[in-house]
Amino acid sequence: MENLSAKYGKTLNLDKLTSYCPGCGHGVVTRLVAEAIEELGIMERTIAIVGIGCGGFSHHYMDIDAIEATHGRAPSFALGYKLAMPENIVFTYAGDGDTCAIGLGDLLHAANKGMPITTIMVNNTVFGMTGGQMSPTTLVGQVTATTAKGRDTALQGYPLLVPEMMRSMEGVKFLARESVATPKAIRKAKRSIRKAFECQVRGLGYSFVEVVVPCPTGLKMRVRDSYARCANEMTDYFKPQVFRDETEQVDVA
Amino acid sequence: MLHKCTISGSGGQGSALMAKMICLGAIKEGLKVVMTQTYGIEQRGGDSTAYVIVSDQPIGSPIVENDADIAVALSSSTYANCFEGVVPGGSLFTNSSMVEAPRDARGFRQVLLPVSDMAVELGTVRCANMVMLGAVLAGTGLLRLEVAEEVVRESLGAKKPQLVELNVNALRAGFAAMEKEGN
Amino acid sequence: MIQETLFLKNTETFAESLARCGVKYHFAYPITPATDVMKRMAVILPRYGGQMMQMESELAVSSALAGAACTGKLVATSSSGPGLTLMHEAIGFMCAAYLPCIVVDSMRVGPGDGDILGAQSDYFVVTRGGAHGDYRTVVLAPSSGQEIADLVPHGIRLAYRYRIPVVFVIDGVSAQTTESTTLPAYNDYSAEFDTSGWAFTGTKDHAKRALITGSYSHQDGYEMNERLRAKYEVIRDKEQMWEQDGVEDAELVVAAFGIHGRMCRDLVSRMRADGKKVGFIRPITLWPFPDRAFEALGSCVQNILVVEMNLGQMVDDVRLAVNGRIPVHFLGKTGGDLPMYTLADMIAEADRLLGE
Repeated sequence: MENLSAKYGKTLNLDKLTSYCPGCGHGVVTRLVAEAIEELGIMERTIAIVGIGCGGFSHHYMDIDAIEATHGRAPSFALGYKLAMPENIVFTYAGDGDTCAIGLGDLLHAANKGMPITTIMVNNTVFGMTGGQMSPTTLVGQVTATTAKGRDTALQGYPLLVPEMMRSMEGVKFLARESVATPKAIRKAKRSIRKAFECQVRGLGYSFVEVVVPCPTGLKMRVRDSYARCANEMTDYFKPQVFRDETEQVDVA
Repeated sequence: MLHKCTISGSGGQGSALMAKMICLGAIKEGLKVVMTQTYGIEQRGGDSTAYVIVSDQPIGSPIVENDADIAVALSSSTYANCFEGVVPGGSLFTNSSMVEAPRDARGFRQVLLPVSDMAVELGTVRCANMVMLGAVLAGTGLLRLEVAEEVVRESLGAKKPQLVELNVNALRAGFAAMEKEGN
Repeated sequence: MIQETLFLKNTETFAESLARCGVKYHFAYPITPATDVMKRMAVILPRYGGQMMQMESELAVSSALAGAACTGKLVATSSSGPGLTLMHEAIGFMCAAYLPCIVVDSMRVGPGDGDILGAQSDYFVVTRGGAHGDYRTVVLAPSSGQEIADLVPHGIRLAYRYRIPVVFVIDGVSAQTTESTTLPAYNDYSAEFDTSGWAFTGTKDHAKRALITGSYSHQDGYEMNERLRAKYEVIRDKEQMWEQDGVEDAELVVAAFGIHGRMCRDLVSRMRADGKKVGFIRPITLWPFPDRAFEALGSCVQNILVVEMNLGQMVDDVRLAVNGRIPVHFLGKTGGDLPMYTLADMIAEADRLLGE
């Protein structure tokens, strides 16, 4: 039998059965993060600071130290950690609810401070763990447990475009939105996640990647349909793109 | 040894600095000091009051509660409060250049010194607080004059060396005037 | 830094003492009357190879504090009531997570936005806990600048020995008082403790570690709380601290912490000089509350007077400690031009209770 570690590296913990639902986009993103850490050779000095929600499980599948932070505060935890231990690599990993509902203030100030930390925001347009409630990124008209008639812009506003809010921040050195809707999209997402970590390894500044993913359970959809939605409605609104890439600059670290 | 001091004046008269000088001098002498600043209704207009407690023992209550044995009124607006806050047997040092109609002290000593006028003669009214400090030292033995001079040199020496001589002279003038007053 | 006597505001004494005793990272958000702590930290911490980081809310402050505490390094924060309220999310978290840190609270008048004047109104929130769940933090209440300098090393040791947040409380009047204080020479007290068994420093140092305060099973949650219970029982047993004087034959015992406790020394010496049998107990640890000081009071004690700069908070703990054995009375106020009762007021109330 093929040695899985030889193929996937040591970071990804393949002995664990994941608690992600079948078809969940987190599984793909978790693997991409683990691969980036593996490829950069930083596993032994990388710390995951995960949020509350399904993203909080992600660290179980990586052989790295991890801190399960309070809800929405992972970016502030990361700032404190990085200040005290700048030689380590710190990233936050959480969903759209943790990152941009309760945690938006912490997130934007962390980004604006520009310290070299990395944020992975997994956007599935819904609160998954608590059972499919509206999040700030829920699409207009999207039916959720708390928007029975669909998101109403008069009451709930429009889906939040998070990386767009960071475009004017000088301290943000790598900024991208990707998706896992297709194999091609996954390859692009892999590249951006790796660059986000590289940005920190080289001490350039803050890096952020939003990854648009399906949540078949939260959306009450078949897996195949949820990926189609991800490739169409979701990415029509949340357009995948690299907003800024300063990883070509001279190293600071 | 325990002294409770109330030192008050109007904005710019340097009552807080005077209080701080006493504290720094007392620390040089190995004494304990506590200083609290104006709180409450006394804080009106530009008036400011500093309360200083000096002791050779650890200090209990840090609050001077109308029980000062050394009180200084540099301005007329702070005079009444100062006057009310002196314990029997204490001393009130009144700037007679500013307080035109001082009251009769009963049960405590009142020293009337025109420290603002004396300061003008020395070069600037701004050193009235140091003239008063010299007088307080001579009148109460709170600190030795040399210690106060040392504090002036150390506090002003680095940043404003040109003011050292003026302030030392002011201290000495106040000290001498108080001694002449018949300590 | 060498041992030296300086003339400092007590907020500055906190900063100096913490930096000289090993704090490397300080997180804070401006708030009167605590701001002087962070201001001085910003200046002095770089001299010790550390850093003060200003955050954009107290929620972020306490979260960054928790993140930094995960490294095992000595970290601190400073705030006042409204800021402390926001910090409780992470304070409760750090209790569950066994993370050491130092929190300084310069108490001001509340509730709501309150007033910047000093108070002792945060007694409940620090001893009962402002966050959810069953947790405790050690609470130390120094009453003077010198006691701040003397207690900081002890507080740091408690934080690391028990891996628990240690909260220093001081009323805002004392916080803004300037005093002569002998500061210690530099010594990192946290270095006495080996953090390699728990700090989250990366898998280069150990097998994967995960800081998890959530329960993955109901049994997890039960066990976490039982571990906390056992720890708190040890702290209750070993770490009660108080100062007392004149209680052996006292008819009246005055109990107060912080500034009122300090004033009790004058109260007792003055009233004793008049032949009145008065003693005082000044709790230094507010949690664990020094029950033992009150349990040991003899039958000569006819009344206890509790004095606070609030509407009656510590008085509840005194009542629990004496458990109905001795009548407990209360004198306290908060707000107003002078936001506290004076020594003269305290003596008058003591005289009234003595029947004079």
